[in-house]
Amino acid sequence: MSCIFTTHCDHTPDNCTGDFYSCLTYISIIKHLNNSENIKEVPVTQNLAQKSPHKIVTISNVNKEYNLGKVIVPALININLSFDAGDFISIAGPSGSGKTTLLNLIGCVDTATSGQVIIDGHDTMTLRERQLTDLRLNTIGFIFQSFNLMSVLNVFENVEFPLLLQQKLSLSDRRNRVKELLEKVGLDKHVKHRPSELSGGQRQRVAIARALVTRPKIILADEPTANLDSKTGETIIDLMREMNRLEKTTFIFSTHDAKVMSHANSVVKLADGQIVAPDHQIVTNNDHRPDE
Amino acid sequence: MSTIIVLSQIAVRNLFSNFLNIVIGLIILIGTLLFVVGGSVLNSIDSAMSRSITGSVAGNIQVYSDKSKDELALFGNWTTPDLTVISDFSKIKGALQSVDNVKAVIPMGVDGASVTYGNTLDQTLEKLRSSENSRLKGDSSKDLADQIESLKSHVRQIVSIIQNDYKKLTVMSSKQAVDIESERDLARAASPTFWSRFDSDPLGSLEFLENKISSLVPDADMIFLPYIGTDLDSFQKSFDRMEIVDGQMVLEGHRGILLSKYQYENQFKLKIAYRLDKINEALTEEGKKITQDPDLQLMIKQNRTQTREIILQLDPLKAQKMVNLLQDYLKSNDTETAKLLSEFFDTNDQDFSDRYKFFYSEMAPLVDLYRLKPGDTITIKAFTKSGFVQSVNLKIYGTFQFKGLEKSGLAGGVSLMDLMSFRDLYGYVTPEKIAEAKQLEQEVGVNFVDREKAESELFGGYSSVSNVKQETINDQKELGDAKANSINQSLISRQYSKDEIEKGVVLNAAIILKDPTRIGQTMKDIGDISKKNGLNLRVVTWQKAAGQIGQFVFVAKAALYFAVFIIFIVALVIINNAVMMATLQRIREIGTMRAIGAQRTFVLALVLIETIFLGLVFGSMGMLLGAIVVKWLGIKGIGAFNEFLYFFFSGPRLYVTLELGSLIGAFIIICVVTSISALYPAIIATRVSPLQAMQTEE
Repeated sequence: MSCIFTTHCDHTPDNCTGDFYSCLTYISIIKHLNNSENIKEVPVTQNLAQKSPHKIVTISNVNKEYNLGKVIVPALININLSFDAGDFISIAGPSGSGKTTLLNLIGCVDTATSGQVIIDGHDTMTLRERQLTDLRLNTIGFIFQSFNLMSVLNVFENVEFPLLLQQKLSLSDRRNRVKELLEKVGLDKHVKHRPSELSGGQRQRVAIARALVTRPKIILADEPTANLDSKTGETIIDLMREMNRLEKTTFIFSTHDAKVMSHANSVVKLADGQIVAPDHQIVTNNDHRPDE
Repeated sequence: MSTIIVLSQIAVRNLFSNFLNIVIGLIILIGTLLFVVGGSVLNSIDSAMSRSITGSVAGNIQVYSDKSKDELALFGNWTTPDLTVISDFSKIKGALQSVDNVKAVIPMGVDGASVTYGNTLDQTLEKLRSSENSRLKGDSSKDLADQIESLKSHVRQIVSIIQNDYKKLTVMSSKQAVDIESERDLARAASPTFWSRFDSDPLGSLEFLENKISSLVPDADMIFLPYIGTDLDSFQKSFDRMEIVDGQMVLEGHRGILLSKYQYENQFKLKIAYRLDKINEALTEEGKKITQDPDLQLMIKQNRTQTREIILQLDPLKAQKMVNLLQDYLKSNDTETAKLLSEFFDTNDQDFSDRYKFFYSEMAPLVDLYRLKPGDTITIKAFTKSGFVQSVNLKIYGTFQFKGLEKSGLAGGVSLMDLMSFRDLYGYVTPEKIAEAKQLEQEVGVNFVDREKAESELFGGYSSVSNVKQETINDQKELGDAKANSINQSLISRQYSKDEIEKGVVLNAAIILKDPTRIGQTMKDIGDISKKNGLNLRVVTWQKAAGQIGQFVFVAKAALYFAVFIIFIVALVIINNAVMMATLQRIREIGTMRAIGAQRTFVLALVLIETIFLGLVFGSMGMLLGAIVVKWLGIKGIGAFNEFLYFFFSGPRLYVTLELGSLIGAFIIICVVTSISALYPAIIATRVSPLQAMQTEE
C-alpha cells in the first residue's frame, strides 16, 4: 500500500500526512511523473474526493448546453468531479469534447446550465457577476493558449497587472513579488521587454508568472503548449510542475498532447462532453487515445 | 490609486500604438485647431465690429423714448424709425450722468431727407448769375469779365449739345414726339442774336435760360440722405472712430453738415470717375479680370456710353484741351469729344491702370469730380413729423468716415449734422425760429394760424388776427426767397451755446461708458434712474440700437456657431466610430483583463480615460498649433478682399487676437466631445465577456 496520493509514495495510508505538498516523497513523485514511462497508474481525484480533507473544486451534476439558434448542443453532460488543493491535473480529450467548457466553468468565466460548481467553497451558481470577477482575481490564475499578454505593457507590468487590480499590496511588496516570480520563471533579465520582443516560450513564462503573482489557489491553463513547439512546451510544463511544487498551487490544464498529459498526476478524460474511462478510477497514459 | 496608475499607464502606452488612435487624435487636433482659430477670428471680428460700431455712433448704450412705435435703428433699416421725441435733452443728460459708470451722454436724432441739386446748366447759370450780379454792382475787373465770357461760352456749349440731342431725336422719332416749343426755345438760346443781346439784359436772358432751357438738361439728381443730428462737438470728442476726410470739422456751435465719405463717393462723385475707382479696386485689390467679370465689363460699357456728364461740364476752351489730350494719348485724329472719350474709356486689363492714372492726372483737372465740395451749401428738404416739407440750407464743412465702417453702405452712408438744423428739419421750433417768424410776421404782415382752424381762417371769411398761437410743431412757411436766403445766411454764421444745443428736442442719446464690461449693471441703473425720474426711457445695447448692422453681427455669429456645432456633431460621430472600431479590435485584450479579474468599471474607465487622454494630448497639440496660427494671424492679419469682409473686419485687415476664452472653450469642448463619443464604446467594452480571452485565433 502507498499513501493516499500516489502509488509511488513510500508512505502507507496510515502514516500519510494527508497533504500532498507535505508528502515526504513528492519530489520523487514528480520525477516519476515527469518521466511518463514511470506512470503506471494515476489516481483519479474523484475517487480520492472522499478521502481528501480540502476540496478546492467540486463539480456536481453539471450540464452545459449551448443554444445555437434552433439547435441545443450539449457541451457537458452530467459531470461530477472534484480536485484537491495542490493537484496537477490534466483535462484531456479531442477537440469539441468539452475541455475548454469545463475549464471555463471552473474559471468562473462561464456558468453551467444546471448543476453545482463549487470553487474554494464558493457556489459559483449563486454568485453575482461582480463576485465572480473577485473570485477570479483572488482565487484563480489563468494561462492562455495564445498567452494573452498586454502588448503595450512590458514584462514587469504584465506580471504586476493583477496585483494592481487587487490593490492589496504596497508598492514595494508588489515590486518584490513580481521580481521574485520573474526570477523563478527565469525572466529577471527581460523585465523591460515588451511581449513582442519575446519568444513564444518566454511569453508563456510571463503568463505563468502573471497567473501566479496573486498566489491563487487554482491555476487554469487552456492548452498552454498548443502554440509552442514540443521542446518549449515541455519546458513550460516543467515550469508549471515546478511552480505547482513551489507555490503549492492547484494546476488544471487542458491538452490533447499525450506527452504533456503524461506530466499530470491525474488525467480527466473527456469525450463528447462526458467523462470517459470506466468509473474514472484510473487513467493511465497508455489509455490515452490520440485526438481525432 | 494603483488602478489609476495602471489605467494611465495603459492609456499613455496605447496613445501611439494604434493607427486608429492616430486617426482619432488627428480629428481632435484639427477640430481643436479650427475651434481655437475660428473662435479667435470670431471674437476678433466681434470686438473689431463692436469697437467700430460703439466708437462710431452707437456708444455702448442707447436710450430713446419708451413711447416710440418703432425700435431705434441708428444705421437705418432702409426707412427711418418712428420714434417719439425726448423734449428736453438736458434733463436726461443730467439724470444719466449721475449714474456711476456713465462717461458721456451724446444727444442724437436719426432721420433722412432728400437732397436735390441742379443740373449742370443750373449750376453754370448760377455761377453766371452771381458774376453778372457782381458786375452790376460795379466790379469791372478783367478777371470777372473773362470769367463771364468763359461761363457764357460754357452755357452756349451746353445749349448746342442739347440742341444736337433734340435734332437726333427728331430724326429717330416722329415729329409729334418732340416738343415743338422746346425746340423753338433751344433754337433761340443757340442763336447768335440771343448771345449778342445777352449783355444788354443779362438777368432777363438768364431767367429765360433758367426757366426754359434748364429743364431740358437731363442730368439733375435727387439723393436720399440719411443723417444723424447731434451735438457735433461732443460727438467728435466721444466717438474716436470718426475722422474728417475732406474739408474740416463744423465750427464749434455752428450749423453745418458733414457728408459721409461713402455717400460722397457714391452719389456726389462724377459717375465715370466713381466707376473707374470701382474697376481699379476690383483689379488691384480683389484680383479680378475685366475679361472674366461681367460686372466690370458693364461698368466699362457705361463709361463708354455715358460721357455726357463730362461733356456738359466742358466749356469750349476745356473741350478743346480735352480733345488735344485725348488725341495725343490715343494717337487719334478724331475731333469729336464724345468719340474720343468713348474710345478712351473702352479699356481692358492691359491698359486700364495707365488710363486710370491719366484720367486723374490729366483729365480730371478739367472737370468737377464732385457735384458738391466742402464749402458749398446744400438745401436739404425733409418731411417734418407732421408731414410737411421743411427745407434747410446747410454748409458742407467736409466729409468724414467712421474708421472700419468706411466701405459699408449701411453704416458708412450716414451723414452728420448739427442738432439745430436737425430740429428744424424734424419740425421743431427753435427759439430763434420763433423770433424769426415774429419778425417776418411784422414785416410781411402774416399770422400763424392753427392748422385745425386753417380752413375757417382762410375760407371762412372771418379772420381773427388775434388768434395767434405758438406751435410746437412748425410747418413749412412760405417765405420770400430773398428773405429766406438772408435768414439762412445769418443762421449759417451763427454760433450756438452749449445750453441752446442741449435744451431741446432729441430722439435718442448715446451713452459712453467708463467700463464697457459692466454694461449690464449700468443698463439696469439707467433703467432705474429713468423710472425714478419719470423719464420714460427705453434702454438698449449698441447691438440692438445699431439696427441691421447689429443683426448682421448676430447672424454671422449664429452662422459660425452653427458651423462649430455641426463640426462638433460630425467629430462626435467620427470619433465615436473610431473608438468603437478600436474597442472591437481589443476585444481579446479586454476579455483577458476581465478573466484576470478586472471589473466592468475598470474596463469602462479604461476606454474613457484612454479616449480623454487621447483628446487631451492631441487637443493640446491642436490648441498650441491654433495659438501659433492665431498669433501669426495677429501679426500678419487677414486681408479683407471684398466689401463684405471689410465690413466684418472693420477695416482692410483683421488682426486676430488670441483670447483665453477660446482656449478654455476648446478645452471644454475636447473633454465633452471625447467623453460623449467614448461613452458608448466604453459601455460596449464592459459587455465583453471574459470568455473572449479564451478565443484562440491569432
